[in-house]
Amino acid sequence: MTATWLTLGMLLIWGTVVGVDLVSFPQALLSRPLVASAGAGFLLGDPVSGFSVGVVLELFALDVLPVGAARYPDYGPAAVGAVVLAGGGPWMVTLGLATLYALLVAGLGGWSLQVLRRANGRALQRSAAGLAAGQSDTVSALLARGIAGDVLRSFTLTGIALALALQARQIVVPVAGAAACRRASGCRTPNRSRW
Amino acid sequence: MNRGSLRALLRLLAVQGAWSYERMTGIGMGYAAEPLLEDLQASDPARHAAAAVRSAGFFNSHPYLAGIALGALVRAEYDQVPANQLERLRAALPSPLGALGDQLFWVGLVPSVMSLIMLGLAAGVGWWVLPAGLLGFNLFRIATGVWGLHTGLRSGAQVGAAIGDSWLPRWTPRFGRMALLLVGAALPVVAAVELGGATTVARWTAGASGLAVLGLSWRLETRFSPLRLSVLALMMAIVLVGVWP
Amino acid sequence: MPVILHRIDDRMVHGQVVVGWGQPLAVGFIVLVDDTVAVNQWEQDLYRMGVPTEIQLYFATVEEAARDAARWREDPRNGIVLMGDVRTMDAYCRLALPVARVNLGGIHQKPGRTQRVPYVFLSPDEFAVLEGLAARGSIVTAQDLPSSVPIPLESLR
Repeated sequence: MTATWLTLGMLLIWGTVVGVDLVSFPQALLSRPLVASAGAGFLLGDPVSGFSVGVVLELFALDVLPVGAARYPDYGPAAVGAVVLAGGGPWMVTLGLATLYALLVAGLGGWSLQVLRRANGRALQRSAAGLAAGQSDTVSALLARGIAGDVLRSFTLTGIALALALQARQIVVPVAGAAACRRASGCRTPNRSRW
Repeated sequence: MNRGSLRALLRLLAVQGAWSYERMTGIGMGYAAEPLLEDLQASDPARHAAAAVRSAGFFNSHPYLAGIALGALVRAEYDQVPANQLERLRAALPSPLGALGDQLFWVGLVPSVMSLIMLGLAAGVGWWVLPAGLLGFNLFRIATGVWGLHTGLRSGAQVGAAIGDSWLPRWTPRFGRMALLLVGAALPVVAAVELGGATTVARWTAGASGLAVLGLSWRLETRFSPLRLSVLALMMAIVLVGVWP
Repeated sequence: MPVILHRIDDRMVHGQVVVGWGQPLAVGFIVLVDDTVAVNQWEQDLYRMGVPTEIQLYFATVEEAARDAARWREDPRNGIVLMGDVRTMDAYCRLALPVARVNLGGIHQKPGRTQRVPYVFLSPDEFAVLEGLAARGSIVTAQDLPSSVPIPLESLR
């Protein structure tokens, strides 16, 4: 699997879309790790990697209740990065590493959501006079600002997830591939799951 | 559906767009209320001004059921319900809408849909099962939103009785049980396919663990999440399959 | 033992309480202590819909809650006593048996309050009331969900 600049750009846009979907708009389940991973897999021309990573991450996400003001992981951009990390390497090694990687990035995503919520709160305080007067322009501007903030958050998170995944691939894939070759007494097609 | 309701429904898709700890979904609710309050602006400007301030105040509910509250609160404004009673209604509505929404969607429907997609992929149905699952979920979610907004607009301050008499409280627990069954079935299949394991064993464990989860859920569903129940049932099922002659 | 959580949450009965705390603690009953809700049928009907059938929801004024506190504590089921504000909890603690732990689960912005943690906003007066509770022996912590780390009152200053 090779990622061109065009593919990376599309992955960046996809990661941003799924990140915004989690809370802000339109909450259509695009942010579920299975969906985010599958989309990334298709963009990379490697849907098997997308489904394999997505299914494992989905099992983690099923145990998360995004209730109220609680902090919860953002699996969407994390899953996009994890598919990039997992693709192309010996399956049984890269799947575990990609899962671990996604959990860490998803935790970072959860933290970034809290930062965004606090920023929205500060914007509210600055707009207190307009809100007290019932100005619809103030409400619209706050909503637009909140969504724009989430776009920026998701874009940044996906960028970090992709950059680190590409760096990690330089190290992980050759080392893991060599180890897999030694165990198998010769290199063949990487052992893949059945998705 | 009139144009104001349609605009309100579209705006509800971004009800959490300015989520903050100070007002939670209040700004999103205020934005969605705006097209519904336009007639009030013409008929009673003073009431409209107060309603606009109230509509963007602190509020939180499940985002997919927010339309029920939006409709009820807007209708109550048109019905000239006293401000203190409106505040009580605004304070009380998040309880049923949050709890029912969490149970219906986060605990019930979302795990069910994702499990169905995983089972479909594992069964080799094809990748189209993913967009089909998403489409089905979103159609249900939008239909619920349309129903919710209409129910709220129709019932106003009597929305509690309208929710209580509706399908929502009756069907919500059933969605939870469906999730238990489907998550329980999906987990061993996912494990088997992910490891490239034997499909016969996967089928046995899927059936056994799904049924075990469903059986256990009648007694234990308040104590364990569906996934934890499924892991427990999976271990039981593997033992069962392992000792089966 | 069975009252395992005394919580202040201005959203009263909602997902964090019912699902977040209710499921892992296997809660059998919730007592909502609020003088207004206790005498208002339509509000009670709304709150009842937020609770699954296996959890019983009781409504009580502060006085009724203080009177029945001992009985709830002897109930074999696990229970949550829930209040919407700091002053109600203070009044309950003065009238009822001492409360070992007070959980601040969600107190949101109002004029005069400042943010202490993302889900707890307190005015200076409210903070002083909580300090009074702590001085009388209650351990006061902020914690929205069982999986979160409890934050001691001193850290909310």
